Amino acid sequence: MTRPARAAALTATLAATALLASACGGGPEEAVAVDTSDWDAVLAQAEGQSVDWYMYGGDQRLNDFVNGEVADRLAALGITLNQVKITDTAEAVNKVLGEQQAGRTSGGSVDAIWVNGENFATGVQADLWACGWTADLPNARYVDLDDPAVATDFGVPVEGCEAAWQQASSALVYDSAVLDEADVESVESLLAWTAREPGRFTHPAPPDFTGSMAVRTFLYDTLGAETVTAAAEDGGLDDAVYEQARDETFDRLVAASDGFWRGGETYPVSQEEVEKLYADGEISAFLTYGPGAVSSLVADGVFPGSTRETVLSVGNISNVSFVGVPANAEDRAGAMVLADVLQDPEVQLGLYEATGIFPVVDLDTLDPALAERFAAVDAGPSVLTPAELTADALPELDSATLARIEDDWRAQVLRGEE
Amino acid sequence: MSPRLRIALLLAPALLVVGVFVVGGVLQAVLQSLGYAPVVGESRWTLDAYRRVVADPAVRASLLLTARVSLISTAAAAVLGTALALLVRRLGGRRRLAALFHGTLAVPHLVGALAIGLLLSPSGLLSRAAYRLGLVDSVQDVPALTQDAFGWGIIAEYTWKETPFVAVVALAALSRRVGDLEDVAATLGASRWQRLREVTLPVLAPPVAAASVLVLAFVTASYEVPRLLGRPYPATLSVEAFQRYRDIDLTSRPEAMALAVLIALLTTVAALVYLRLVGGLTRRSL
Repeated sequence: MTRPARAAALTATLAATALLASACGGGPEEAVAVDTSDWDAVLAQAEGQSVDWYMYGGDQRLNDFVNGEVADRLAALGITLNQVKITDTAEAVNKVLGEQQAGRTSGGSVDAIWVNGENFATGVQADLWACGWTADLPNARYVDLDDPAVATDFGVPVEGCEAAWQQASSALVYDSAVLDEADVESVESLLAWTAREPGRFTHPAPPDFTGSMAVRTFLYDTLGAETVTAAAEDGGLDDAVYEQARDETFDRLVAASDGFWRGGETYPVSQEEVEKLYADGEISAFLTYGPGAVSSLVADGVFPGSTRETVLSVGNISNVSFVGVPANAEDRAGAMVLADVLQDPEVQLGLYEATGIFPVVDLDTLDPALAERFAAVDAGPSVLTPAELTADALPELDSATLARIEDDWRAQVLRGEE
Repeated sequence: MSPRLRIALLLAPALLVVGVFVVGGVLQAVLQSLGYAPVVGESRWTLDAYRRVVADPAVRASLLLTARVSLISTAAAAVLGTALALLVRRLGGRRRLAALFHGTLAVPHLVGALAIGLLLSPSGLLSRAAYRLGLVDSVQDVPALTQDAFGWGIIAEYTWKETPFVAVVALAALSRRVGDLEDVAATLGASRWQRLREVTLPVLAPPVAAASVLVLAFVTASYEVPRLLGRPYPATLSVEAFQRYRDIDLTSRPEAMALAVLIALLTTVAALVYLRLVGGLTRRSL
């Protein structure tokens, strides 16, 4: 039994961090500047540093890869990698915010964060990233920095404040013993299937990252790929266009949700829960952001052997995720070397082989032999190749639009308000 | 040095830590709920966050759910805990059974919630057993007890976890003196029912009531159990607060803090009731 001050304790985390940070020194001096244009100097500065990398720790294969190959390469450069597993990137951003509130401009405890989208935008809003360094990374020559997916992050210009390291692409995962290929042709046919076979499809409720993507997939189906691509380039959707598409989409979802899991009365809180429902056989189809990880789950017998993947006709949603370095990080040079190691084509290949995570390096810039090895990776029958997956990839819209879609979905679909 | 001063000095380190973290934390929450936002770089004193929170339909639904879940769980734990304590006393062997209660107390709520999920969810043990035994035609026919509209899963977890806590408190109150009183009542011709009503329950009422208030305060503010066993809407106050705290838009942080302050107020009221029940702090100790 915990004391009743639990509530206060819960909300005091941020404040406590701040107080602790101010209590433990870390005066108003500025963090040591790192001149990334002289990479040898960065390496020299990084030697002996210990990098605290805050990252989502829910993927065991990824953890093994990070603590194996990535840590080994850093160790060869005299850098210790300390992976700090978190369940939610917002925790790490909140920690840096707390330190910043306490006036801790140097000696920060968070050196690097695996981040993208909304959490990156939050950091930009509070001005807490080190910026303008990513083009100086030696391995940045393998990354197309002008590609919109790398130059903007959910509509927020990256401006060298975070270094790309992996690509996520959405896909529909389904049990081919239950659904035919015709059922997973489009959003339309999928919803028709849920009407015939009720209770066997769901997605997490936004603000869950994947749940938010699922709702966007339905919205994009209404809008059409051209409108979405244009909106991403213009930095947002026209209000009238958005509202009409939203009402049409949500009416469609409310009507179809009778055929969802639990009759659409409620939705799981997280993607982990959705995948557990699929593993337990409660549902037979779900949308994912990590299509590469499915093959190993099939191999382990967690998912049925008849599991397959497809891309709905609307196309899928693709985004890049990054490593951000807080401006107050104690081991900034080490964190930047980490970002460079992650962009190393060999590491990118190892990552793809070990976890199925798609590379962020441009395969055309690679040595042909290495590009060949990327093409040779066999992920088994249940998984699509990166080329198949990203053929009709749609861009991500800006965070403000995302937040609006999430709020509107919660109001109109989850709470059933008019 | 007077003994009082010495005790105060000895307690100072612990009190300092509690003071800094709890008082500091609550103070920060109150400030941020009133619009103090150094991170976003704009601070104006306003009650807007409270207005927005109170007007939010999600919060209104949340109040109802939070009250329902915490009151039912607390009442169930109080009744079952008292009954268990009386049963254990009847059976003798108090030490071994009490150890069992302590064992349950040591299980974290997070683990308890996962266990209840494995037991009660539609693909859980109970529904599979019912299906195997032919009680239902398909697993889908078992009524949903987790992520359900009423909150049965959450109530089940709290009741299971807090009943032993109440039982331990009640057992401690059932001293030999109570047995003597009951014997006196018996010699005066009281029936078993009368003894329970006139002697045992009045003796147990204060400690059990106090324990119940503690349970109520805890359950009202707990986060992980409703997060794992509940719905995204309506969600309990703690889940709503944390969701706003995690919101990507920093400008919704005041709302998170306003909700947190409301929860803290609720638990404080519960704690005050508790203090009144135990008759104020025993002054002898300080």
